[in-house]
Amino acid sequence: MPLKPDFEPVLFKNRRGDRPATFDEYRQGGGYEALLATVGKKSPEEVVRMVTAAGLTGRGGAGFPTGRKWAGVPASAPYPRYVQPNTDEMEPGTFKDRILVNADPHLVIEGIILCAYAVKAQRGIFFIRPSYESDAQLIERELAVARAAGFLGSGILGSDFSFELSVHRSAGRYICGEATAQVNAIQGLRPNPVKAPGAHLTEAGLWGRPTVVNNVETLASVPHILTRGPEWYKSLAATPTGDGTKLYCVSGKVARPGCYELPMGTRLSDIIYEHAGGMLPGGTFKACLPGGASTAFMPETLFDIPMDFPSLKAVGHHLGTASMIVFDKNTCLLAATINIIRFFVRESCGWCTPCREGLPVILDILERIEAGEAGEADVAWLETMTRQLHHAYCAFAPGAAAPIEGLLRHFRDEVMDHLDGRGCPFGAPELADKPGAWHLPKGGRP
Amino acid sequence: MSRKPEEASCRLTIDGREIVVAADTPVIDAAERLGIMIPRFCYHPALGAVGACRMCAVKFLDGPVKGLQMSCMVGARDGMVVSTTNPEAVDFRRQVVEWLMANHPHDCPVCDEGGHCLLQDETISGGHALRRYRGPKRTYRDQDLGPFVAHEMNRCIHCYRCARFYQEVAGGRDYGVLSIARRTYFGRYEGGRLESPFAGNIIDLCPTGTLTDKPSRYRARRWDLERGPSVCLHCSLGCGLTVGARYREVMKLEARLNPEVNGHFICDRGRYGFGYESRPDRPRQPRVDGRETIAGAALAALAEGLKPFEAGKVAMVGGTRSNLETLAALLGLCRDQGWRPPVFFRDARLAGAAESAAAALSGDLVASLADVGRADVILVVCADPLAEAPMLALSLRRAARRGAAVLVLDHRPCDLPCEAERLTFAPQELAGCLSRLAHAALRGRKEAAAYLSSLPLPPDLLPETALALDTWGKRLAEARFPLVVCGTDQAEPTLPALAGGLARLLAGSHDQDRRAGFLPLLPGPNGLAAALAGGGDLEALLADIEDGRATALLVVESDLLSRTPEPERWLAALRKLKLLAVCDHLPSPLLEAAHVVLPSRTVFEAGGHFVNQEGRLQRAMPVFSPGLPMGRTLREGHPPRLFMSCAPGSEPRPAADWLKDLAGLLGAGGRAGDWADLAAAFPGLPGLAAGPAPENGRRCLPETAPGADAPSVAKTGSPDVPPDHLQVLLVERTFGTEELSCRAPLLAASAPEPWVDLAAADAGKAGLAHGAWLLVPLPGGPLRARLRVHQDMAPGLLLLPRDPRLLWQRLAGTGVLVELLRLHAITAEEEPAGEDTTLEAEP
Ligand SMILES: Cc1cc2nc3c(=O)[nH]c(=O)nc-3n(C[C@H](O)[C@H](O)[C@H](O)COP(=O)(O)O)c2cc1C
Ligand code: SF4
Ligand code: SF4
Ligand code: SF4
Ligand code: FES
Repeated sequence: MPLKPDFEPVLFKNRRGDRPATFDEYRQGGGYEALLATVGKKSPEEVVRMVTAAGLTGRGGAGFPTGRKWAGVPASAPYPRYVQPNTDEMEPGTFKDRILVNADPHLVIEGIILCAYAVKAQRGIFFIRPSYESDAQLIERELAVARAAGFLGSGILGSDFSFELSVHRSAGRYICGEATAQVNAIQGLRPNPVKAPGAHLTEAGLWGRPTVVNNVETLASVPHILTRGPEWYKSLAATPTGDGTKLYCVSGKVARPGCYELPMGTRLSDIIYEHAGGMLPGGTFKACLPGGASTAFMPETLFDIPMDFPSLKAVGHHLGTASMIVFDKNTCLLAATINIIRFFVRESCGWCTPCREGLPVILDILERIEAGEAGEADVAWLETMTRQLHHAYCAFAPGAAAPIEGLLRHFRDEVMDHLDGRGCPFGAPELADKPGAWHLPKGGRP
Repeated sequence: MSRKPEEASCRLTIDGREIVVAADTPVIDAAERLGIMIPRFCYHPALGAVGACRMCAVKFLDGPVKGLQMSCMVGARDGMVVSTTNPEAVDFRRQVVEWLMANHPHDCPVCDEGGHCLLQDETISGGHALRRYRGPKRTYRDQDLGPFVAHEMNRCIHCYRCARFYQEVAGGRDYGVLSIARRTYFGRYEGGRLESPFAGNIIDLCPTGTLTDKPSRYRARRWDLERGPSVCLHCSLGCGLTVGARYREVMKLEARLNPEVNGHFICDRGRYGFGYESRPDRPRQPRVDGRETIAGAALAALAEGLKPFEAGKVAMVGGTRSNLETLAALLGLCRDQGWRPPVFFRDARLAGAAESAAAALSGDLVASLADVGRADVILVVCADPLAEAPMLALSLRRAARRGAAVLVLDHRPCDLPCEAERLTFAPQELAGCLSRLAHAALRGRKEAAAYLSSLPLPPDLLPETALALDTWGKRLAEARFPLVVCGTDQAEPTLPALAGGLARLLAGSHDQDRRAGFLPLLPGPNGLAAALAGGGDLEALLADIEDGRATALLVVESDLLSRTPEPERWLAALRKLKLLAVCDHLPSPLLEAAHVVLPSRTVFEAGGHFVNQEGRLQRAMPVFSPGLPMGRTLREGHPPRLFMSCAPGSEPRPAADWLKDLAGLLGAGGRAGDWADLAAAFPGLPGLAAGPAPENGRRCLPETAPGADAPSVAKTGSPDVPPDHLQVLLVERTFGTEELSCRAPLLAASAPEPWVDLAAADAGKAGLAHGAWLLVPLPGGPLRARLRVHQDMAPGLLLLPRDPRLLWQRLAGTGVLVELLRLHAITAEEEPAGEDTTLEAEP
């Protein structure tokens, strides 16, 4: 394990590195005490109040205040109500949920049960991507243990609170991570996002009933808020604008890629140099995507930024899933962008035109720039289309726009160096192995 | 569901012009009302807004919403300032078109949508001309979707209209969206005929040439067509149609928007039921004693021939598929000449049911098809919606999707595209069941006493059935808008009156702003007018002919020989007639027997008025002038090089004109034959006095129906079925049985193989399996057909469709019973090879 934490780990308290913490280990470390102190002892409203007071923000990417989301379930809303823990985690560069679930499954389970208690839900559906099959099985196994202990099922801890949780395996598409698309997916419908004016999942989600969708990292933070109090939780953060601790994923050209629990608001430079071991030998930091593929490249100039939602927002960036993908000076960022956009082209749900049809056109232009087949007019067109992606139906396309926007904002010169027959100064690695469906015949125009 | 307290209105500004609309009206609709057509692909008023295509972007400059937004997704609010011409919006829309066109094959010159293609219009009007995208285009594999819908996926712009209609509106499961991203595909899991009887609507809805009308493909471009508004004649709903004809032939029919009737859609029976107008065997030449002649000579011969007859011995048979003009002329003739009252219906039961339905109808109670979608509790009694009035099934689905509860009381295995509770009873039990339900609904209501006491006693019911009827009765009583649908095709004569009476009393139980509705289904597109004109039944007429009480017969647009279960008896009776004249446009054995044949025009050539089941007067326009289809007049590939004042084969005249001229020759005191005469012929439709129908029709019923509150109910004689016998009932099917559309070549060629139905209990007793070939011993000889076995069907019945491909006329009588155990399955060796099962399989 790297470094002393100069703070008390919360989410990774029981992380062992070699295997998941067991139920007993979790109990020994104070696990399920929050549940015991809550069910039948605190009112659901009190739980929502504490989570709100802790300032807990959603860890799924959007940073929405969790307490506010839970309070959005109207008191008069019908039953059954649902909790939908989101472990889809298909955001490139993001692997925190998997590590969390693997480190301490009962922390996640307890958080889910507490959420259900707070919003008076009867059913939970744990949505998980299919490539996490072993984790799905782990959760299923541990759910049985929790049930045997009386923490799940009907009449939990002798109260009139009943809650069942089951695991739903995704068919495996990125868009299934989007909350409304996920609701459709669970119901057996096409996973297209749904946006009706004035409609909220907390009022009408799964089968028309109130549904709370939260990232599992968000939910895993809840037991600690309830046992140690909102003030303590808030004080864990490194910045006044942050809340609690955060699981930061670091990948790319660093010495020790991995997932690190650190106070929310830890500086980017500290994350990379102190925790991830700095750049790989011989590499120099050029840029990073701060929060997965759907955030914009951040240049060196922002190297000391505190990594929390408001701080990044203030400089026009986005924390996303706090998954840093780090690039060094030998990497063509245009090539990296092409790689990312291929992912988005493939994963578009196909509902709206800018994303379904626009992204492939954008990809084509990017590839032409990389191959030296484009001119300034193409870059201008690229910029316009990228801006227009923000008028797509859901947040997917703006997410796809982000890396291109970062590229054009901070690395425009590098892009321009490719134009008019010059091609990639780094050797065009991205044009070597193009996937079949979008194969561009060598030599340009088909 | 509670109603909004009041419809709040709001004022907004679009392109500098103010408009007041109901709050939440989509801005795209508000703009349309100002005459500003915001480009759109996915939005369709009947499908709603889903924000998929992003084509309708406009800029909100001020008010509660700001910035570039989709005008279909934003509801109107006070103070909104909207610009549709803002450069940012225009640029965005231009880019959307460019994206959509990036993969488009650009094959407008050979595309059947060309000329009426929304994509073409938006591309051209948006100014997108040069493709900047230089990459390879996407290529899809097309599917064979059956005989009606052509599929060219490369032209698809993924607006999702087709899938939303097919699955959400029509309840179909076999067509939809597959795959994701730029491979998103609209089609079936595997190629094959679209199963929904409403599938044709996706042709109208598709804004591109992806889904086009297969039968008319490559035969005419939009601008080649003579087009005109018309009315569907294939059931009593009278859905709006647009006819497209070319070279004296109907090329295709499209749905015509009529908000209170069919909305934007029609069924496939309506869409593909044409083609009878251009059949090679259509009578086109007047004939006297088998010899072709000219119109004047035929008429003179008929007038001359009629003179010797005693007025009381001359009978007329009319059809419910004739236009109102024809019916009025026919009624006028009978009245003025003192002939016997005309006969419209095949038997006394049907005539009685139609008349009792008509009598129960009035303006304050009648429900339109659109009302069905507004009702919250719906009782369907003795009706098979999909078979008798297909679009009713779509409206029921619409209601069910809005939360309405639907109960179907019928003996048939009614297949509905929506959730509905089914209770099955034998037809003769339905009145009793309705009675039980009405007692539960109207309990304790003083004004209902007379009605309740007129009801028959309920049959012995299982406790759970009785409970279900009581529950539904209460539901109807508590409903916000209860609606009663009643069929006539299979109903006992009193049943529609009972159903109408129930609806009337349900309406009475409500506060002022509540209402109830009654929707009867009538036989044929002008069945209501015929019923109001006195109905009459062919069975009685047959007996009169046999007894020599009627010796001269004029048949006008009624295919009685092909529709009767007793063809032999009719043929024998016809031979006894001294004079038989037939005026029709359908080929029929009747024409061979006739002394005088007067060929009439079809609705496409004659137009005319029709009164649908809600008393709505509607008008079909003549769309093309009659004559042999051009293709059939060609000599060496060219139309005849002759100068003629008329087209070959153009002798058919509107039936009404034949009759008026006949009246003239018979010296009918100079009837002008104008609209006032027509209105006077139907006192039951006072609204006719206001003149011909406006675009969406006009209700013509009297506001109230005196005496409908307490219908007099006579005991009806139903056959007592001995044990282990089956009552053979002739039934309608969505395809293959209706009088006109069963002559439509397109439907005849593609309608599913006809079958007979049996309840599972009966099939079990006789050891017969679903799908088996069955031999049914009928009085006129054996009938071979495939068997379908149903759980949700009343026992003791064998349902036999009036499908010309089956030998159903071997029934040779009405009220026929067959012994259950004499039905038997044919072994594999005996199974007929396809064509054996069909009787003179027509087209
Ligand atoms: C394209 C897309 C993909 C997403 N994928 C995920 C995901 O894999 N996991 C996740 O927790 N949230 C994902 N989200 C965010 C969810 O929509 C939702 O905001 C989140 O699960 C709410 O949880 P939180 O409030 O705890 O963050 C995604 C959003 C979008 C637009
Ligand atoms: S932006 Fe449009 S196409 Fe892309 S994922 Fe969202 S809804 Fe689907
Ligand atoms: S087939 Fe036609 S209606 Fe269906 S999505 Fe494509 S363009 Fe739209
Ligand atoms: S429902 Fe009846 S009137 Fe309407 S299109 Fe179908 S057959 Fe014609
Ligand atoms: S018409 Fe509004 S988004 Fe398609």
